[in-house]
Amino acid sequence: MKLNLTIQPRLRLNFSPLVWVLLALMGIAFISAMARYAFGIGAISDLSYSYPWGFWISFDLFTGVVISSGGFLMAGTVYILGIKEFEPLLRPSILTAFLGYIMVAIALLVDLGQPLRIWYMMIHWNGTSVLLEIGICVMTYLTVLAIEFAPVVLERFPKLQHIAHLIHRFIMPFVILGVVLSTLHQSSLGSLLLIQPTKLHPLWWTPILPIMFFVSAISVGLAMIILESSLSSRYFQRGLETHLLEKLAKALPIVLGIYALLKFGELAIAGELGYLFTSGTMSILFWAEILIGVVTPIVWFSIKKNRTSPNALLTGAIIVLLGMILNRFNVSWFAVKHPDPLFYMPTFMGNVKYFPTLPEVSVSIGIFAAGILAFGLLAKYFPVFDDEHHVTAHAGD
Amino acid sequence: MTEIKHHAYLFDATRCIDCRACMVACSVENNIDMDKTRIWVAGVGIKGTYPDLQRGTMVYHCMHCNHPDCMSACPVGAYTKAEDGPVTYNPDLCIGCRYCMNACPFSVPHFDYDKGIIDGAFIDKCTFCPQRIYNGQEPACVQTCPTDALEYGDRDELIAKAHERIAAHPDRYIDHVYGEFENGGTSYLILSHIPFSELGLPNLPETPVNEVSEKVMEMTIPFALGWGAVLSGVAAGVGLYNKKQEEKAAIAEKAEASK
Amino acid sequence: MTKTISRRDFLKLGAAGAGALALGQMLPPKVAQAARDAGTINAEGNGFVHSMCEMCVWRCGLIAKVVDGRVVKLDGNPEHPHSRGNLCPRGQSGLMNTYDPDRVLTPLIRVGKRGEGKFRQASWEEALDLVASKMTAIKDKYGAEAMVFSSTHNLSQPLFENLLYAFGSPNYGTQRSLCFNAMIVANTMTYGMEEPARIYDDELKYILLTGRNLLEAISTSETHDLIMAIDRGAKVVYLDPRYTKTASKATEWLPIKPGNDLAFHLALLNIIIGEKLYNRSFVEKNTVGFDELKKEVSRYTPEWAAPLTGIPAETITRIAHEFADAAPHALAHNGWRTSNFVNSFHTQRAITILNALMGNWDVVLTEAGGEESGALGAPPQPAYPRISALRLDGVPWKYPVVPFKIGVFQELRDNIVSGDPYQAHGWFISRQNPIMSLPDRGKTLKAFGKLDFIVTVDIVLNDTAWFSDVVLPEASYLERYDPLMPMGNKVFLRQPVIEPQGEAKSALWIYKQLGERLGLGDFFQYEDEEDYIRQQLRPLGVTLEEVKAKGYAEAPEAAHSGESSELTWNTPSGKIELFSDTLAKVGFSGVPTWDEPPQPAEDQFFLLTGKIATSTQFGTQNNQLLHKYSEEPRLWMNAQTAAELGLATDDWVEVTSEVGQIHTQLLATQAIRPDCVYMTPGYGHLSKGLKTAYGVGANDSAVHVTYTDPISGGQALSQTFVTVKKA
Repeated sequence: MKLNLTIQPRLRLNFSPLVWVLLALMGIAFISAMARYAFGIGAISDLSYSYPWGFWISFDLFTGVVISSGGFLMAGTVYILGIKEFEPLLRPSILTAFLGYIMVAIALLVDLGQPLRIWYMMIHWNGTSVLLEIGICVMTYLTVLAIEFAPVVLERFPKLQHIAHLIHRFIMPFVILGVVLSTLHQSSLGSLLLIQPTKLHPLWWTPILPIMFFVSAISVGLAMIILESSLSSRYFQRGLETHLLEKLAKALPIVLGIYALLKFGELAIAGELGYLFTSGTMSILFWAEILIGVVTPIVWFSIKKNRTSPNALLTGAIIVLLGMILNRFNVSWFAVKHPDPLFYMPTFMGNVKYFPTLPEVSVSIGIFAAGILAFGLLAKYFPVFDDEHHVTAHAGD
Repeated sequence: MTEIKHHAYLFDATRCIDCRACMVACSVENNIDMDKTRIWVAGVGIKGTYPDLQRGTMVYHCMHCNHPDCMSACPVGAYTKAEDGPVTYNPDLCIGCRYCMNACPFSVPHFDYDKGIIDGAFIDKCTFCPQRIYNGQEPACVQTCPTDALEYGDRDELIAKAHERIAAHPDRYIDHVYGEFENGGTSYLILSHIPFSELGLPNLPETPVNEVSEKVMEMTIPFALGWGAVLSGVAAGVGLYNKKQEEKAAIAEKAEASK
Repeated sequence: MTKTISRRDFLKLGAAGAGALALGQMLPPKVAQAARDAGTINAEGNGFVHSMCEMCVWRCGLIAKVVDGRVVKLDGNPEHPHSRGNLCPRGQSGLMNTYDPDRVLTPLIRVGKRGEGKFRQASWEEALDLVASKMTAIKDKYGAEAMVFSSTHNLSQPLFENLLYAFGSPNYGTQRSLCFNAMIVANTMTYGMEEPARIYDDELKYILLTGRNLLEAISTSETHDLIMAIDRGAKVVYLDPRYTKTASKATEWLPIKPGNDLAFHLALLNIIIGEKLYNRSFVEKNTVGFDELKKEVSRYTPEWAAPLTGIPAETITRIAHEFADAAPHALAHNGWRTSNFVNSFHTQRAITILNALMGNWDVVLTEAGGEESGALGAPPQPAYPRISALRLDGVPWKYPVVPFKIGVFQELRDNIVSGDPYQAHGWFISRQNPIMSLPDRGKTLKAFGKLDFIVTVDIVLNDTAWFSDVVLPEASYLERYDPLMPMGNKVFLRQPVIEPQGEAKSALWIYKQLGERLGLGDFFQYEDEEDYIRQQLRPLGVTLEEVKAKGYAEAPEAAHSGESSELTWNTPSGKIELFSDTLAKVGFSGVPTWDEPPQPAEDQFFLLTGKIATSTQFGTQNNQLLHKYSEEPRLWMNAQTAAELGLATDDWVEVTSEVGQIHTQLLATQAIRPDCVYMTPGYGHLSKGLKTAYGVGANDSAVHVTYTDPISGGQALSQTFVTVKKA
């Protein structure tokens, strides 16, 4: 007698390869983070006395915050300026921002020495601290984003739709609050460096750093919306709102032009133009940032063809992002003066070589992967891209 | 000893022989781990080509600035400046963000990267030996210095003493007492025979480096309120305009329909 | 990241593990009962105890802070003339010495082969009985002289000497011939005293330092005095082939060619005598031998000295003039470790004579207070037995003018190897590390191999202890009493701050216990340490309790020859001897004379060694606090020379002399002459029982060649030449 034994798989996980990769990256990040919690930051990174801030701050905080700037941009455009045609771009950009800030918060929970005390910033206030302002703004803005995004989730459930409608009715104060908070903390990330005039290279340090950061944040926001739309349209196989993106792309050269004016203007006024070509590596980094993040996109998006072609739009957006991310890395890391290789005793003080380690970077990548995964899941199961839904009908009532 | 109104240190780089007694004393007095330190020696070391050589090093610890940048930067206010000088760090408030390490122009605060979440990773820096100075003793580093390179006393008196010393030996010292005005004044004053930058000291203006930062912070709330008002105004205006347009359109439609 | 024990850990650790040993649980350190009785420590175990440092021979007075029965801080005692309230880095690190996890806390008896580090713990009974029986057996079979005794320079030295002399051995090994024989014998010949005291007052205008890196080889109070002199504007001329920290503070640094300090000083004498810049009346009144001296130095012109020293003749002449102008407030410093070249003795003679010619006696130099004050009492003891055997170290039959008390240590070691004039069979070593201190480590190990029995008294398993048969744990200086130390008009006390950890005991106890077992109890007539000190204090009329409170007692100062109107010196002529008849009678030059030093070959370098502020000789490298603030030991080489040889900093190099070879890493630096290389001594330990020190750096004694100056017996430590190649 033949026994018919077949083993039935109990659980069938039918994930796409991309999801598996993202989950794997998240897993690695988790392990690294656990090592950090058990053995200290030094166990997974080479942060030291000379380099208190490294990859996590530059990538997760500085870059993470600036790439979430699309949210307030679209909210302000759609609600405050009342330009309804950009509505289709609103929800995805809110989601991007929302997830972006959550990613920042998670990264901070790894980078902070006492992550369990992150809430201290809500009750222990030092009014002169830029970092406090960023902390409070980010935490408050996360709440605002949650409220702005809540309708997307609530609309899926018929029983909760009335709450969604309620939120729509009273969204304006939150939008205004969101724009104010975003203005504050986007600029404050630049203000963080105000207290280091002797440590940040003169090509970057300026009293108007907050204004520079805000203007560049707008350009990044515009680029991010283009990027996110392009990638979503490819991945979710939906149409691309090229006509809207074209308008954003048209605004980019204007914003970048103002940015360039401010940048070179302040150098001129401060008498620091001399540093432009005489600062060795710093000059190279500066010009790389300007050429990639400012000059090339201005030229690129001045050409109408590039504004209307999906590929060109994506390319241009990526170029802006690369340049501006380089700017964030420059301001927070590359252009910051670290102790010179003087004679040091004890010798462990002289550790001036910092390079991101694999575990360290894996944490950031894992968090980023989680963000992508969350975006994908939310976009799949919730009406993030619901083009027919007009949310503004009830606003302003 | 006259009563000390503002505790301060005076360091004379011409007397320092880089013996490190101060560092050992600090380690012992404050029970510091073997791989950490609150006090260190830095400088250009040996400069020049044989046999025309010069040596420059200095003992570093917290400068106990009059306008501490660490205090300005710390989001949760973990630093306080006592009226009589010492800048104190409070580990009970610290969240480990390490912004103070960036803010300090002298790169003083040290962070313990080897502690996990249970022990807690904190900042460490010179405390000015309160357990000693408020008991009639000198800080541990000063007490033990075999060459009196490190001295301790009232800030004004030490500054006067420093200038006297410069006047007595004008060809020996750079005519400047570092810390008298730098960064708004510090409680660690330095005399040197070589440029202060060769001792590793940053070139700082008299205004504290936190001045711009604090000015911007002061503007925050007024700016936020103002910006909020502007945005509200715009939103209201746009809303009104759109409503008017809609009413116009509705009237036009009605007019169309009634035809 | 270095994996060292954090200080919090070590204070909890106590005596956990040292190498292959498994030490029992350490008793919690108790506050010295005596300190409690004296009221310096209260019932909670908190308080302050006055004592003395032992991290080097300067012995600064200290005040130890005790909290909960643990020493937590050491501060300098403001009332001690050697500290004046300060402590150098080694002094500050002293409590790490006491709490070193690698301390030996029980007697150890070797079970493996010598050098394997395999010991077993034993009781004091067993260990002392074994030592006594072995020593007695050697005495019975080969004579007392077959037992060698060596100890460096301890406060307990008088009791050590009791053991030595009462036992009947003439073989007294001190380390002095590795250090300052040249200086001491020269001073003895010139002034009739070992070392005059130096006076650094406000008037001192000019200091000529020959070597004596005072700002790194710190003697706390003198280092302070030198810096203060510089601060006041005194001119310091410093001769050293290296740009040391003293060089960086000196007014003028002269990178003199090694071996030629003598030429420099002879040229100075030439100018000062030739141009009649000396103090005529002082010389006439207080010296003998001027004419012989004048005749000798007439040929040592600056032009002659310039190519030898590498210092221009104009500079030498100028310095002679400056020195004479500043006289009598000009000091030619003898230096301290003067065991550099075979001709160092004559250099020292020239320096002492230079001072004499300037008439600066009682201005910058004066008689020093001895370390044996006549005012102190001592337990009664019988006379020592007569010793007829020859000394193994050639004193006086090979070295006629070397004092008995200092001897020629390297010769002693050499004759243990050669067995000439007789074979030694045992070695008793206390507070000394001959394997590291003697030149030519290989030869010292060979000497060890010739001995039947080696016993060492030490606090950690230093290299010498590592190769011994029995190790007896001495209590660290914070845990013991030692005989009183006179200094000026005070006598200072070393008293326990805490009870000794484990089974460690003071030397006073160890020597007495051993003495009794050797039948020499009559030489140790004290009940315990306190009794001994009480007996010392008796003539002063103070109680031990009074002394314990302050850490010192007042005592009448030893009679000072300077107090009488006539100056006399303890020399055969009663005067300062520019020409020494004593030397001439045994065939040496009575005046300082040129003795050409050897030269390295084309591809060789002078191997220099010298002190650093964060270590003392060979005993402190295991101290974690000092290790924390020390550079990694490297071989210094002139940067240009290194470049020419294709070597760079961090390169591993092979350093070879005629007796040995070591591997170490290079440091290319501007701070050294092109023809010299430098190593910091005291590294490259063989003992695995030193967990912090083992594996750090390379050993200098492994390459040092033994050269002995026939006059003073001094070792010539800088006369070793080495080749340096990429490893």
